[in-house]
Amino acid sequence: MVGLQHPFQRLRYVNRQSAGLSDILVATAGRNLFSLDVSSGQRLDVWPQPIVEAPTGETSGATPASEGQGPPEKRRKLSSPAADEKDAEQEKKPAPEAKSMDSKKQDTNAWTNIPLLAVAQSKYVIIMTAEDKCVRVLSLADNGKLQELSSRIMPKKLSGLTLTPDESTILVGDKFGDVYAFPLIPSENYVRSQPQAKAYEPSATNLTVHTKRNLESLEQQMKQAALAKANPEERVALNFEHQLIIGHVSLMTGLISVSRPADSTVGPRNYILTADRDEHIRVSRGVPQAHVIEQFCFGHTSFVGSLCVPSWEPKVLISGGGDNYLLVWNWLENQILQKVQLPESETDITVSGIWDISFSPAAGDAASVQTIFVALEGSTQLLCYSLENGNSLALKQTLELCGNVLDLTAIDSKGSIVVSVDTLRQPNSTTAWKSMSQPPLETFRVSAGKWAPIEDSMVLQINGEGTSGVPEGLEQKKQTELNDAVYGLAKLRKRDGSDD
Amino acid sequence: MTTPQNPPAKRLKREEYRRELQAQQESTDDGSVIKMPQKKFFRQRAHANPFSDHRLEYPISPAHMDWSSHYPAFVDPDPTKTNLSGARKLTKDVEVVDIGCGFGGLMVGLAPLLPDTLMVGMEIRTSVLEYLSSRIHALRSQQQRLKNRAETSTEPQPEGEGAPVNDDDVGTTKIYPGNFENITAIRSNTMKFLPNFFAHHQLSKIFICFPDPHFKARKHKARIVSESLNTEYAYVLRPGGLLYTITDVEEYHHWVLRHFLHQPEEQREDGTIPDSSKDLFERLSDEELEADPCVRVMKYETEESKKVTRNNGKKFVAVFRRKADPEWST
Repeated sequence: MVGLQHPFQRLRYVNRQSAGLSDILVATAGRNLFSLDVSSGQRLDVWPQPIVEAPTGETSGATPASEGQGPPEKRRKLSSPAADEKDAEQEKKPAPEAKSMDSKKQDTNAWTNIPLLAVAQSKYVIIMTAEDKCVRVLSLADNGKLQELSSRIMPKKLSGLTLTPDESTILVGDKFGDVYAFPLIPSENYVRSQPQAKAYEPSATNLTVHTKRNLESLEQQMKQAALAKANPEERVALNFEHQLIIGHVSLMTGLISVSRPADSTVGPRNYILTADRDEHIRVSRGVPQAHVIEQFCFGHTSFVGSLCVPSWEPKVLISGGGDNYLLVWNWLENQILQKVQLPESETDITVSGIWDISFSPAAGDAASVQTIFVALEGSTQLLCYSLENGNSLALKQTLELCGNVLDLTAIDSKGSIVVSVDTLRQPNSTTAWKSMSQPPLETFRVSAGKWAPIEDSMVLQINGEGTSGVPEGLEQKKQTELNDAVYGLAKLRKRDGSDD
Repeated sequence: MTTPQNPPAKRLKREEYRRELQAQQESTDDGSVIKMPQKKFFRQRAHANPFSDHRLEYPISPAHMDWSSHYPAFVDPDPTKTNLSGARKLTKDVEVVDIGCGFGGLMVGLAPLLPDTLMVGMEIRTSVLEYLSSRIHALRSQQQRLKNRAETSTEPQPEGEGAPVNDDDVGTTKIYPGNFENITAIRSNTMKFLPNFFAHHQLSKIFICFPDPHFKARKHKARIVSESLNTEYAYVLRPGGLLYTITDVEEYHHWVLRHFLHQPEEQREDGTIPDSSKDLFERLSDEELEADPCVRVMKYETEESKKVTRNNGKKFVAVFRRKADPEWST
C-alpha cells in the first residue's frame, strides 16, 4: 500500500447465509462504495465504476474519478438529471458550475464522501452521498456487484439513515430536524409533480403592514409576483413519493428505528427514536403513526449524537454525544437507569458511536457474546461495556487501536468484529495528517472472555488492496474539508453566542 | 437588542428608567401609586430567529423547572416537597400557555377570568419579556396595596369584574380575582423547548395569537404552526384541551386550517387519508367559540388585536380541540 488512502468511513456486514450465498462486507471510503467478500477479503465491486466515457443509463450514475486521482472539487449545489434536462432546455441560471453539466452524465465532482450507509433485506445497499444530498439505493447482486437503482435528492444534508423494521421503507433525518419516510423501491405509479408555475401572491396586505418601509417592500413583492408568473421557479428536491413524518426545530443528530416485542399487556410495537442538537431524545410511534409523540427522554446537557437499543434488551437505550457521560434509559418511561462517566480527558469528549454486538454461542465457545462498544471522536480507544442485569453498563475493557476509531461491524459468521480506523490523521488527532497511510481495518474476537486482536486473511487482503487514494500534498483547505467530513460532531457543541 | 445605530443615550435612558421603575415597585406603601411600566422603554423588533441558539435558559426536563419564584402565592406550604432541581413544588401545575405572548395583554386579560389556573406567557424577545415581567410585578404590588388598604379601611373597596381595563399607565384601581398571582412570563423558544417545560398532557389551553407571519415562502419553516410542531402541541396538550389561534393575515389563517385539518386533496385513490398530526385535532364550531370568554379576550384584549382594530384590519380565529391518541396500528 502506498501513499495516502481514505479510511473506511462506514462498514456494514451483509449476512446472506439464509440465502445460501457468501457473506459480504460493504464499506464506504472517500467517494466510493466497496463490496468485499467476507471469506477471502476479495474486492467484488467498487461503485461508482471508474469509466472514462459515460455511455451508461441515466440512473446508473457513473463516471467517477479514477482511483488515486484524489478528492474531487467540493460542490454543494447540484441538480438531478431531470433538472439538468430542464436546465438545458431553458438555458437559464448561468451558474458557473453548470458548464460541465450533461444530462446523460453525472458530474464526477458530485460528492467527496459517503457518510451514511444501510443495508436492507441483504440485497439492497442504501447510501447518502454527502454534497449532493442524494439518497441512492443500489442492488447487491449474488456475486457482490453493485448497481444503482434509484437516486433521490433531499432538500437538506442528512444526518441519519435507517429503515423501518420490515426493511421496506427508508427513514432519513436531516440537518433541519425533519424525518422523511419513503419506499425502498420507488413505486412505478408515482407521478412526478411537474414544477408548477404557481403564481406567487404576497400574503401581506396593506391592512397588515403599516410602516412606510414595509409598505414599500410589499409593493416590491407585488412586482416580484408579477415577474414570477412569467418565470416559473423549479425545485428538484423531494420530487418523489415521500412523507414528512417527524420534525424537530433543531439539527437532527440521531435516528433509529426500534421494534419492541410483545409483552404481557401489549402486542409488538414499532417506535422511532430521534435525537437533536438541543439535548432532546424523542420517542415517536413507528410509521404510519410517527406523528404521535409518546415520550421525551431528558437528561443530556449537550447534543445527543448516538442512540443504541441493544438487540437483546430492547427496553434499554444507551445514548451519548457531547456530554462526558453516557445515559442508560428505560426509554419508554423517560427513566434514567444509569449515568456512565466516560474516561477522564483533558479536552471535551464526544461520543461518536455506540454499537451493540451479540453472537450466539459458537462452536467451541461456551457463552454467547454481548458487548456494547463505544467510540469517542478522534480517539484510538474503543470502550467495551457489558450490560448487566439489563440496566447498567460495566466497563470491561478498553481496546487501543492504531488509529482513531471510525466505525465497526460484527462479522456474524466469524464471531468477530471489524473496526475501521482513520488512515489519514495521526492517532488521537482530528486534524494532523500522516505522511503515510496505515491499514484501514483491524479485527477482534473474544478469547477467554476478552476481546483480543486476531489475524484474519480477509482483513489482510482488504488492507493489502487499500481503499481509494488521496493525492499527496493536498492543500490545507482540502484537508480541512476532508477532516470535517469525518469529524463533524464536536462542532455541534454550543458556544456562548451573542444574544438577540 | 443593541445595534450600532442605537445612540448610547437611548440605552442609558432605558436602563435608568428600568432601575427607577424597579425601585418604585419594591418600595413600601408610602401612599404613592405604583406606576406601570411604559412600553416605549421596552420596544424591540417584532421578529426573532427561532433557529439560532440565543442564550436561553431552560430546564433539563419539566420535573427540573423551578416555578416557585414565578407563582409565590401557589408554592406548596410543605418545604420538603421539592422537584428534581431542588426547587419548591407548587400546589398545582401550570395549565395554560400563551406562545409568543408579547406585551402580555392576553395574560393580563385572562388572569381574573381563570383565577385558579396557572398561566404562563412565553416570549423569545428579552426586552418585551422584561416589560411583561415588570408589568405583572406592578399589578401584583398594586393589588397587594389595595388589599392592605381594604383590611385597614372600613369603607368598602371597589372590586373589579371580568377583564381589567388594560390601561398601561394606571394599571388597576380595583381588586381582581386572583390578584394576578396566577400569571407569569418566561423567556423561551417554544419551537425548540416546549417539552422541556411541560410534561405529556399537562396543558389544557395553548394560545397562539397574531404569530409572526413570516411572509416569505422561504421563511415558512419558521412559522409557529406546522405539522411537525403540531405534534408537539398535541404532546403537551391533554385530550380535550384547546389550541387557540388568531391572526390578521388571511393567508396565515388558511395555513393554520391546512395544518390542523385534513384537506380534500389528501385523499388517496382508494379513498383513505394518510395518517398525520391532523388526526389529533378537530375544529370548534362558531357556537362553541361564541360561548368561550377566552375567545373574546383573545379577540379584543391583546395589544396586537387592538392594533388590528385601530387599523380596521380583519381578525381570523380558529380553535382546535385535542382528540385522544389513535389506537396503535400494528
